[in-house]
Amino acid sequence: MLKPTKMARVIITGTKEIMEPVISTLHRMDVLHITDYHEDAVDFKIGHPLKPASGLSEKLLSLRAISSQLGVAGKEGASKKSAKELPSIIDEKIKQLHEDVTSRVDELRNIEFRMKEKDDLIAAVKPFFGLELSLGAYRGYESVRVFTGFINAELESRVSKITNNYELFTGEYEKRRIFALFVPEAFAEEVQKLLQDERTFVELKVPALEGNPPVILEALNNEVSGLRQKHDSIHSELENIKKDYSEFILASDEYLSVETQKAEAPLRFATSANAFVIDGWIPAARFSELEKALEDSTGGRAYIMQPSDKVNMEEIPVKMNNPGLAEPFELLIDTFATPKYKEIDPSSIIFITFPLFYGIMLGDVGYGLLVSALALGIKSKFKTGGLNALALILFLSGIMSTLFGVLFGEFFGLPIFNVVVHGHLEHGILGIWAPAIGGIHMPIHRFDSVQPLLLLTFIIGIIHLTLGLVLGFRNVTIMHGLKHAIYEKGCWLLILFGGIAVIAKLMPALMSKTPVPTGNPIFAGGMLLAIIGVALLVKGEGPIAIMEVPTLLSNVLSYARILAIGLSSAGIALVVNTLSKDLFIMPDGVLLGGGIGAALVGVLILVIGHTINLILGIIGPGLHSLRLHYVEFFTKFYEGGGTKYIPFGYIRKYTEE
Amino acid sequence: MAAELIDPVAVAAQAKGLIAIGAGIAVGLAGIGAGMGEQTIGAAAVGAMAEDEKFFGKGLLMTVIPESIAIFGLVVALILLFVF
Repeated sequence: MLKPTKMARVIITGTKEIMEPVISTLHRMDVLHITDYHEDAVDFKIGHPLKPASGLSEKLLSLRAISSQLGVAGKEGASKKSAKELPSIIDEKIKQLHEDVTSRVDELRNIEFRMKEKDDLIAAVKPFFGLELSLGAYRGYESVRVFTGFINAELESRVSKITNNYELFTGEYEKRRIFALFVPEAFAEEVQKLLQDERTFVELKVPALEGNPPVILEALNNEVSGLRQKHDSIHSELENIKKDYSEFILASDEYLSVETQKAEAPLRFATSANAFVIDGWIPAARFSELEKALEDSTGGRAYIMQPSDKVNMEEIPVKMNNPGLAEPFELLIDTFATPKYKEIDPSSIIFITFPLFYGIMLGDVGYGLLVSALALGIKSKFKTGGLNALALILFLSGIMSTLFGVLFGEFFGLPIFNVVVHGHLEHGILGIWAPAIGGIHMPIHRFDSVQPLLLLTFIIGIIHLTLGLVLGFRNVTIMHGLKHAIYEKGCWLLILFGGIAVIAKLMPALMSKTPVPTGNPIFAGGMLLAIIGVALLVKGEGPIAIMEVPTLLSNVLSYARILAIGLSSAGIALVVNTLSKDLFIMPDGVLLGGGIGAALVGVLILVIGHTINLILGIIGPGLHSLRLHYVEFFTKFYEGGGTKYIPFGYIRKYTEE
Repeated sequence: MAAELIDPVAVAAQAKGLIAIGAGIAVGLAGIGAGMGEQTIGAAAVGAMAEDEKFFGKGLLMTVIPESIAIFGLVVALILLFVF
């Protein structure tokens, strides 16, 4: 919590004979973060991949090609294959699969191409249904030229001006006039010019086929359906292959990836002619475990040591260390930046504040429960990875929203308990009055308590910012010493609290137009604190830093969004409820007063409105809560820029050793 | 005439209306301002993210910085509506 896992630097050396067992052991343990070796010495060079590397990559490439042709997708909960059996069958099976799949996929492409060709022919033949001529009749003349096409104008009289020696066939296809004009070659030029000048003329090419159009079309259709049958059968064959082999493909993909990773590991080591050196980091608590495993696998021939020389803090890989429920919040930290090794890891703080802010913003029992249910749904679908973590964050946020929903007395925007809003009594769903706790009448209706809630959000903001500055003070003290911490963070704390005291006295005086209480000890003390703070700031960062002072005010005001998002969400819910109830479902207080149809419209508005509001209610509070952390909170202490701990290994999903 | 002008009920109603208009203007103009600020930053942030997804955190942070302006407008509106 708050601090990353303690890491220890490890150097492993040995002769090249034991390199393979060492790599295997390290890979299996999935614990060593290897520091890549960059060639800079004469004696030691970057290592070469183990022999099988190129063969393995080739197989992997071939397998991935098959996998993408078949559309094999990863799946959860597949039965695990033994990684020991795979090597003996993998070569032959991949070869076989390659033949089976590639030939079928090629044929499929070929058939698709031919079907496209036939479809084009069918489209070309269809217009000639309008003319009662065999397709062969349109060509093969020596002294006659044939024109075919669509036209939307009278042709006969115009052609007869050129020559009387012509033959014209006309017909209709899909409400357009189609024609075929036969003229002697001698007049062809003139007729062509006539047609070109006619705006409505669209030329049609006669497809190179013989016979009557309907007969041709039937033959073509038969061919297409034959092709389609063949296409479907090959497709279903491929589907069968996919069904039979997808587990094998996933398992071999994993096996080959693992082996490739192992074979290419020496690229990260320093090697001489006969020896190798691996430099890296492991969680300190697991050092002895690693030592023992390496001793077992190499018969004690590998030399392991923990060097004590100083290293650059930024090089130490960071493995955040948070208890169960707070762990998913590491995702939010990583999205921003991985913390440095000596820095506070704020995951466990965000674990409390993120759902808290979210809950106050959404603050509705109905929406809260729906969000939690949705999160559980996502969580059961994705067992690992970022989405799983996000689902847990959402779940906690939903629970928090439900709790605040009870406090605000809201269920999909409807009051749960009886409540007085702006002097009007509103009957709650439960129809009872909530008890008063600690002298405060429950529920706290958000529309009726804007002023106190606004003040509350500012107080939350001040606490949050103070926490950030205190953490920043701690970070700077550890990294650069107390003096720097006072100049960098302490001055801001003074300005913050001095400023609050001044504003707390100044605002009421300004609003009631009474003189500013300069003699008041709180006001004077606040002024003094703020001035000392600014003086320290100027001394630490130079006079230009005064420009930054107002950002503190904007930071505090920024927390007003906690109330604002909540009000807008409750407002939309209220609008949806009022619209559907008063206008459609119960006009003038009579159930179904506007008829069934109107009531259905009302229900539709209710469903769509609340769905939209729910989606907004997930995005809005989530992003704004995140922003308050990233922009207001983190800038007070968090730097990030650490190296993420990525152990050499692989989390197996489809194979087991 | 004079009696009508200083009718306390009418004056109060008028003041309330003016406050509401003021609050609306405060939120609306602040929103437009924030939007104008965010459009350029947002476009650049999406561009940076297309290059390298690691920019998401920084991009989001930069994009929402002008949003404070909208919040200032909102705070002014809330103070107008509920404190005055």
